Amino acid sequence: MEQFLQAGIIGISLGAQYALLALGFTLIFGILGVVNFAHGGFYMLGGYVAFSCVSMAGLPYPIAVLVAVAVTAALGWVFELFLLERLVDDHLATLMLTLGLYLIVSTGLLTAFGPLSMDFRFPVSGALHLGPVYVPKENLIVLAICLAAIGALWLVLFRTDLGRALRALADDRAVAMAQGMRPRVLFPAAFALATGLAGLTGALVTPILALSPGVGDPVLATSFLTVILGGLGSLGGAALAAFIVGLVEAYSSVYFGGSIGALILFVLVLLLLVFRPTGLLGRETRGA
Amino acid sequence: MRRHLLLTVCGVGLIAGAQGAMAQSCEIKIGGMGPMSGGAAQWGLAMSGAAELAAAEVNAEGGLKMGDKKCKVIVVPYDSKYTADGAAAGANALAAQGIKIIVGPVGSPEATGIKPVAARNEQLTWNAAYAKNALEPKYPLAFHVAPAPAVWADPMIKKALQVFPMKSVALVAPNDQAGTDIVAVDAEAYRANGIKTTEEYYQRGTTNFAPIVTRILAAKPDVVDTASSPPGDAGVIVKQLRLAGFTGPIGRLGGPGTEEIIRVAGGIDVLKDFFWYETVATGDPKVQEIDALYRKFLGKEPVGGTALWGNLPAARMTLKAISAAGTADDANKVAAAMRLLPVEDPNMGKGHWTGKKQYGIAQELHFPYGFGVIKDGKNLGVTRMEAKPD
Repeated sequence: MEQFLQAGIIGISLGAQYALLALGFTLIFGILGVVNFAHGGFYMLGGYVAFSCVSMAGLPYPIAVLVAVAVTAALGWVFELFLLERLVDDHLATLMLTLGLYLIVSTGLLTAFGPLSMDFRFPVSGALHLGPVYVPKENLIVLAICLAAIGALWLVLFRTDLGRALRALADDRAVAMAQGMRPRVLFPAAFALATGLAGLTGALVTPILALSPGVGDPVLATSFLTVILGGLGSLGGAALAAFIVGLVEAYSSVYFGGSIGALILFVLVLLLLVFRPTGLLGRETRGA
Repeated sequence: MRRHLLLTVCGVGLIAGAQGAMAQSCEIKIGGMGPMSGGAAQWGLAMSGAAELAAAEVNAEGGLKMGDKKCKVIVVPYDSKYTADGAAAGANALAAQGIKIIVGPVGSPEATGIKPVAARNEQLTWNAAYAKNALEPKYPLAFHVAPAPAVWADPMIKKALQVFPMKSVALVAPNDQAGTDIVAVDAEAYRANGIKTTEEYYQRGTTNFAPIVTRILAAKPDVVDTASSPPGDAGVIVKQLRLAGFTGPIGRLGGPGTEEIIRVAGGIDVLKDFFWYETVATGDPKVQEIDALYRKFLGKEPVGGTALWGNLPAARMTLKAISAAGTADDANKVAAAMRLLPVEDPNMGKGHWTGKKQYGIAQELHFPYGFGVIKDGKNLGVTRMEAKPD
């Protein structure tokens, strides 16, 4: 029972981190139709910007997190506006552009900071021990911020004109444009929103785990897995799938070990793709 | 006729110029290979850094003596990413540049990947792998930087028991050859000393170890040994073990990387009680001088921690062997010259060629090594352990 409860807590905590990553990833696919291979790069960059603000500029950690969000969002906005926008409907070109950006970011960070892990610590440490189970305080804070971010994103998308315009573009770009929606303004905004979320996750999670130039690699795989499970382009699906992935990973790893745990997750996604190719909440696959 | 004469003069001039240029640009290129990114980056940088330091030392004396001339040694680094395919691709990439001597790679997956490819390319390689087949008689061009746990695990455990009494240990490592081979040998050595063992493996690339930590703690071990987990991974494991309430000692009968583990874990107070294997006797002032040499010859801060010190003798002996063989293009001649060299190093002292007993081929350098202890958050230093012949 003790292990069962602990696995549940770990799963929810993992799910919160995956949700922040997957929401940004699926937002870009849902609105722009672009698979962002640079997503892990923005996660890493968020971590390094926050680290630099704390250790070099001496800023308080919460301010550093906000700076990380601003920098990653700004970079995403610039990248979309000046590079991606020109070729946004060419899937191969956007794949190469985002992959190229990832390589530039990761190599740049490697050159600037070196290959070793940084001494980057979350300002709050320790754990709450509730009988036989424990909850790290830092994970509770990340969970709270994650839930707030998901709520804020939902409000932006479903309660503002910007959100309505973005969803209209995602549903039918031609009709939306005929109604006066301008992709040249809205696409960079959507991209910035998504990369800002990745930066936020990086700034929050890397001091809890580790910050080194390789930490973006698994992020892309996890984000991909989560949004495929949830349904590419579905925000609700991504959030739901993130917590399912977190819980499956936690329970399978706790009960079957680290090797089989990873395998179970992939088998689950494979089965889903066979029986429900659109994912949990995906409506239809986007045409190539 | 005049035209023919002009062409002949030009041709002779070109040939003479080219020969002159060759005589002036006597260069020897060797590879420096290992993971230079990711959790095991420290080990790869240490391997490449050792090659660069050894090269800088001889270059400062005018170059490596090759017969009656001296040649500048250039190290070509390659990031083999701690993977078999990375190391195999690295061997081919270096072969394409005509490089036959490689200081590196580092870990077991890399050693497995590079051995057949390097044999085909006729390249001499070193590795620091702890795999059961780090060396094989069928690959006589492969050399080993330092012994594997089969040689030192038992004396290390006996020393650890004097500081941290224990009845059970949980060993954790990646689920590939670099993890399973080492854990199998370490676990056998623990059991031979009357200590119960459990083994936990994880997928390489794992970033959050909380589920693995839950499994480890379910076995209620006295000690958790991070074995050959890369230092970055081991740091996160330690951090999460402490968060989960584990207060027992942490062991590390595997690769070096104490500094990186302390940094990632969140400080020496978090690590608290720790014992580890050092490939060299790091408490020896003569060994510590290597960092000063690195700064002097390369003009920058040393990278790779104590692993750099452990790899340096291999790099130095490689250059000695190239000089003795009079070539860097024939790996067989260099290997033959290497086997005849006495095992000694200006910083490490004297050692032995070992490996015959474990691998069937005596191509392993064995110098004095170390047993390190951190107790109650205080680094008590590294005790020198003498090397013994096979």
